[in-house]
Amino acid sequence: MKIAPRAIVAGAVVALLVALPLVVKSSFALDILIRILLFAFIGTAWNLLGGYAKQFSLGHAAFFGLGAYTSTLMQIDLGISPWIGMLAGGVAGMLASLPIGWLCFRLRGPYFTIATIATAQVLMLVFLKLRDFAWGAEGTTIPNLGNAPLMMQFDGKAPYYYVVLLLLLLALAITAWLERSRIGYYLVALGEDQDAAEAVGIDVPRVKRDIFMISAFLTAMAGTFYVQYIYFIDPNTAFNFSISIEAALVSIVGGVGTLLGPLIGTVLLETTSALLQSWLGNLAGVQVTVYSVILMAVILWRPTGIMGFLAELNARRRAKRVSS
Amino acid sequence: MAQALIVKNLDKHFGGLRAVQDVSFTVQENETMALIGPNGAGKTTAFNLIMGFYRPDAGSVSAFGREIVGLRPHDVCIHGLARTFQVAKPFGGMTVLENVMTGAFLRDRHPDAARENAREAIAFVGLSARENTPARDLTTIDQRRLEMARAVATQPRLLLLDEVMAGLNPSEVDQAVGLVKKLAERGLTIVIVEHLMRAVMALAKHIVVLDHGQKIAEGTPTDVMSNPEVVRAYLGASGH
Repeated sequence: MKIAPRAIVAGAVVALLVALPLVVKSSFALDILIRILLFAFIGTAWNLLGGYAKQFSLGHAAFFGLGAYTSTLMQIDLGISPWIGMLAGGVAGMLASLPIGWLCFRLRGPYFTIATIATAQVLMLVFLKLRDFAWGAEGTTIPNLGNAPLMMQFDGKAPYYYVVLLLLLLALAITAWLERSRIGYYLVALGEDQDAAEAVGIDVPRVKRDIFMISAFLTAMAGTFYVQYIYFIDPNTAFNFSISIEAALVSIVGGVGTLLGPLIGTVLLETTSALLQSWLGNLAGVQVTVYSVILMAVILWRPTGIMGFLAELNARRRAKRVSS
Repeated sequence: MAQALIVKNLDKHFGGLRAVQDVSFTVQENETMALIGPNGAGKTTAFNLIMGFYRPDAGSVSAFGREIVGLRPHDVCIHGLARTFQVAKPFGGMTVLENVMTGAFLRDRHPDAARENAREAIAFVGLSARENTPARDLTTIDQRRLEMARAVATQPRLLLLDEVMAGLNPSEVDQAVGLVKKLAERGLTIVIVEHLMRAVMALAKHIVVLDHGQKIAEGTPTDVMSNPEVVRAYLGASGH
């Protein structure tokens, strides 16, 4: 009996991630780890649509924000737990993806991307104007209930870490399952060539719609988690363009259309960003500059991202072993 | 003999250009028909009309007794029609096996079954040695083979091949002709669009000639080649 080496590695990584908060006690370090897992989660959700199916959305902040507002409104106005709000937010994001997809999928390539940016910006403007319903531009703080696990509020950061770790594992499990299923093949095929995909019997609009719904659902869950974590919501936080950018960026750097690409990309980018901040303080523009340089370097030299680079190394090593 | 495809009074214009005008023809089951004509005659447009990539302005297309005008391309494929493209469109980042599996998934959603069916189609076109090669690394002839395997994997009854000989050298043309013959022997009805007369003569006993979007001749190879209209279309209006 031989256990697949992949399964062993996966098990080891998960065990390591679960054990980390037992070792890492500093609140600063835990905060960085939570951010890494959060953006890895958003990136993994983005990757389903933007990576596998190559529908390059830069509007995922729309779903992040809708998820955040849905759970917060339910909690403050109706006293409903954010755990339920998170699922409701997911559903809200999923439903919102239908009209957004209906509009944006008419366009291809860069035009699709621009349309997705516009939808997220429009939603932000809507929530800026909704003073009576959703606190307008001022936003609101989320009432601090102390240690209230049922309301997704905890003492210390470690529980938050485990919540977002679970979310990430959920997204990875969905991705791994899709990768092996018929839909996974269909996603890659339509991303490569839509006409050829139609010609082999793939209902391209339907597959795009379905994957957009899944991607939006997960991204909306991330929105709920984030506002619960920072106890504050306003339109500029919830619908921030940088969320859309980061979701795409971590996937590109790590390797689009790969299971672990977004996670690896986030580890690299967030660590870099945290180190930069501790060295240089909040010097304006440094982070953006460094991100841009990393992005250009990846696109120029390793368009397949870190995962593509690793696969290449692996193939080369194997070839060498065969020849020797 | 039953009729596989009946095209009636098909019309399509793009702005001022009448790409296909009042074209009708019938393809019998198990025959190989060739659609020929000079560049810009409307052959590929006719393919796109049949397969649902364009919607005709007028006319009807029925396949195996069912009207298919208005169906989207994937529905046409489910109905048993498959095609290849004039410029091969492999899914470049996928391996040969994965490419063909996307076709096989149409009839069986389980990856293991699709993989088996795909392997069979790949073996049929003689590409088994390249199974794990990324499609973008294939030579031209192997890309044609791949497209045929991917189409065959959808288990079609009617196969439309758009210039599969384009860009092949003479010995490769012989291989491709052999392959199309093998497909026909398998019981497939085949329509080919082809420029290369050597291939047309080797494959089709029934030829339809288009010029400027209109059908100008139809019949056996000998009929068609001796038709003065056809000679004029190919050699130019001045004649020789």
